[in-house]
Amino acid sequence: MPWYRRTYDWLERRLQLEGPIKDAVLHPVPKSTASWWYVFGSASAVLLVLQVVTGILLALVYSPSASHAWNILQVLNQQVPLGWFLRAMHGWGSNFMVAVVVIHMAQVFLFGAYKFPRELTWIIGVFLLLLTLGMAFTGQVLRFDQDAYWGLAIGASILGRVPWIGGQLVHLMLGGPIINGATLTRFFALHVFILPGTLLVLTVLHVWMVVKLGINEWPMPGRLVRRETYIQEYNELAHKDGLPFFPGAAWKDAYFAAAILLAVAICAAIFGPYGPTGTPDPTVINTVPRPDPPFLWIYTVLSYLPPEMETPFLLIVPPIAIAVLLGLPFVAGVGEKSWWRRPVAVFTVMFLAVCWASFTHLATSTPWSPKMNAWSGSPIPTAFLEHRTPLERQGANVFQEKQCRNCHSIGGSGGERGPALDDVATRLTEDQLIRQVLLGGGNMPAYGSTLSPPETTALVRFLNTLHPNYQPAASDASRAVAEQGGVPPASTVEPGNGQHKTQ
Amino acid sequence: MDEKLPPPSPHEQEQLLERDRISRRSFLMNVGLAINAAVGVLLAVPVVAYILGPVMRRREYLTWVDLGDAAKFNPGETKLVSFRNPFTNEWDGETANIPAYVRTAAPGRYTVFAVNCAHLGCPVRWFSESQLFMCPCHGGVYYADGSRASGPPERGLFEYPTKIENGHLLIEAGQMPTLSNRAAVRPCGEQSQPTLVKRIAPCPGTDEPTIG
Amino acid sequence: MRRFGLVLLATTALSGCHMPGQPQPGPEVPRPEAVMSFAQLYGENCSGCHGADGRNGSAMELANPLYLAIIDDAALRNIITNGEKGTLMPGFGNAAGGNLTDEQVNALVSGMRAKWAKPNVLSGMTAPAWKASHPGDATRGAAVYAQACARCHGNTPQKPGPAGSILDGSFLALVNDQTIRTIVIAGRDDIGQPDWRNVMPGRALTDAEITDLSVWLIAQTPPHPGHPYPGTQPLAPHTR
Repeated sequence: MPWYRRTYDWLERRLQLEGPIKDAVLHPVPKSTASWWYVFGSASAVLLVLQVVTGILLALVYSPSASHAWNILQVLNQQVPLGWFLRAMHGWGSNFMVAVVVIHMAQVFLFGAYKFPRELTWIIGVFLLLLTLGMAFTGQVLRFDQDAYWGLAIGASILGRVPWIGGQLVHLMLGGPIINGATLTRFFALHVFILPGTLLVLTVLHVWMVVKLGINEWPMPGRLVRRETYIQEYNELAHKDGLPFFPGAAWKDAYFAAAILLAVAICAAIFGPYGPTGTPDPTVINTVPRPDPPFLWIYTVLSYLPPEMETPFLLIVPPIAIAVLLGLPFVAGVGEKSWWRRPVAVFTVMFLAVCWASFTHLATSTPWSPKMNAWSGSPIPTAFLEHRTPLERQGANVFQEKQCRNCHSIGGSGGERGPALDDVATRLTEDQLIRQVLLGGGNMPAYGSTLSPPETTALVRFLNTLHPNYQPAASDASRAVAEQGGVPPASTVEPGNGQHKTQ
Repeated sequence: MDEKLPPPSPHEQEQLLERDRISRRSFLMNVGLAINAAVGVLLAVPVVAYILGPVMRRREYLTWVDLGDAAKFNPGETKLVSFRNPFTNEWDGETANIPAYVRTAAPGRYTVFAVNCAHLGCPVRWFSESQLFMCPCHGGVYYADGSRASGPPERGLFEYPTKIENGHLLIEAGQMPTLSNRAAVRPCGEQSQPTLVKRIAPCPGTDEPTIG
Repeated sequence: MRRFGLVLLATTALSGCHMPGQPQPGPEVPRPEAVMSFAQLYGENCSGCHGADGRNGSAMELANPLYLAIIDDAALRNIITNGEKGTLMPGFGNAAGGNLTDEQVNALVSGMRAKWAKPNVLSGMTAPAWKASHPGDATRGAAVYAQACARCHGNTPQKPGPAGSILDGSFLALVNDQTIRTIVIAGRDDIGQPDWRNVMPGRALTDAEITDLSVWLIAQTPPHPGHPYPGTQPLAPHTR
């Protein structure tokens, strides 16, 4: 008997783990579950292990001190050999984990796997999703940079909207009156002990129930779930037309796990670690905070909600959403599992996916934010300045200097908060331009108190040149009539953009 | 599973009797559990108090902070200043340096704004050329006097209470301003609006068009 | 395949080969005051008005060797830091409420010189000083305007020449005599404005003529410039 066999036997006689493990991995599962659609759960678990391992490795160097954390991340990025790669693995692992967990959830939902008897598995899964998102947010805080700082400020501002106890909640979250060292240490405790501890315990329970209750069979249209008969039907499926989980179905899990780990590593190698961006110094006002990818969609929602709906949305919708998820297996715990006969479920998933994708996409270009440096950093394209009079050029200066460009783009650069002004002269007459500039309106501030009459005149003259060659500037017909003694003008066509202006 | 059990055998009946006899031990076990519960509650008190510590001492989080000689703020200007937060530890590093905007509307009339946007707390930037504060996050814009100009904020910028002592400008500060600690939404129009706006749009906070 | 990929990855990682994701030296986002690259400073702070390459902007051409030859570093620094009163040039220095430190202003000045200045641009001629040395005479300036400027800019604001009017009240209210002096001397070759040697047919303008001209032009600013209905009074005093 070789030495390793003897060692194994010695251990096994004391541990006695072989029996339960064999039971677990060799238990028969329905043949239909050996599908590529069933790999996301195991991939989430593998990513969780990856996060734990890389997290522990990062903790070898990291220190949750508000005055040092940022510098330590610099050391990790620059000096510790391959420290940047581990940071990148942990960061990209987090993105992948959120994505895979969400996909896993959508798949479970579409396959009806949350129905009897797997209700509790689903409920624990909902908490696992929340914990994963919590890990993503607290992890962003530990990367203690500008984005982390202002992300905390946004979190605190949201909590501050809670009626009556908002102020207390803010102080509880921040660990004091402001975002400082105490905030970082409590997010460190959350990210390193509380959330991952809970996550691991719940994951074990989740997997335990999957093993005990069996992997959900591939749903067939018309095969309804009934409390009285389901377990018997499932056992028949698993035993008569089944195969042992290992290796019958597990090889696909193994392939996918390897592929996803490799994808994380490749992303880490190519795109590198997240930040850290600037130092977490609130006195550096010149910053444009952006949330991490899993939260970009919230960023969009918060920009587009009407002000009066914001607080209700922030405070009421999340509990409702969680309640809906938790209540789902109790409301729809039996019946049809197949997506072919659950159009509402399918369209809900599609709707949410489309919303999520478009919100996230919008958040990458942030058309609602002023571009803070556009006024001094986005040149006016030359075409808009050719053959302009000195006054119109001064108007262009006014346009830049008064930060109009921060919200209005010209020639494709500048802010997108307001409409692009490339052809504004075709939409507004001179008088309408003056009114709009001085009085604002339609979500534009009034500039009446900051623009002098010459500045206004110059600006409006410049704006009035912004129309394409083939389309004349809008003009007030009554004005022309009045100027010409009541005779309508023969033509109101003016020379266009890029043409010589003779006036 | 739920098969009908046969009636207890004599041996089992003997065991049941035994169970009754050891009720003293089970009583002791129950007492043990109760003692642990009591100790647990006792221990929970300091734990909860420890966790709620930052909340319980929140009354102390406001104090007067000296922003320096008031004469250095020129009338008509809005200036970015920063101060060390009064409630801080050495290891807070630069996070305890809190910025604020001092607006000197007229000689001796100071308004001090928090940099945090009233929407979700992002840092607003002051543009002296257009006399506007702009927020980089969701596009909130405020006029020079802190009143809302456009974007998602429901109200104007947060203001610190100010006072002048011995020629120094003092503000009452110490905690991050949020809607819950400075939440009194000013009734629209109470704050002085830019003259021109006030005349035409009595309430720029609404979405109504300002004219026509 | 998978093993091959892992081995490849591991070997590249361990051999210290530079992978695209490896962070560059220095912080990803330096503190704003630590930015010293001319390209970034100019691109973020100046290019909006002065053009992407210092040319073809709405404001003064900075990539103009003549301009860089007549203005000294102190004057450039002062304009960048404090802005130019009476014009739309705001101050970018910390003292004026801007974002730039003195070192960054210096970096801008030296960067402009390094990038755009040309030696011998004057080819032996002496250009008029950037700053006027004496008050100037407006009546003589009118004659200079008629001779040198009216061809292109017209005689009255109502009858502008092909290059557009510079007698317009709003225009004059947005520039000062230094703007006019600078552009008359240095010209703007990007938009076809000749320099002081070529404004007047046949000869270069003298320093005194330029001074007189700028004084006269500024004196043409009407009392209520930019008012759309000149006959009426403004509705409210401006809070500016």
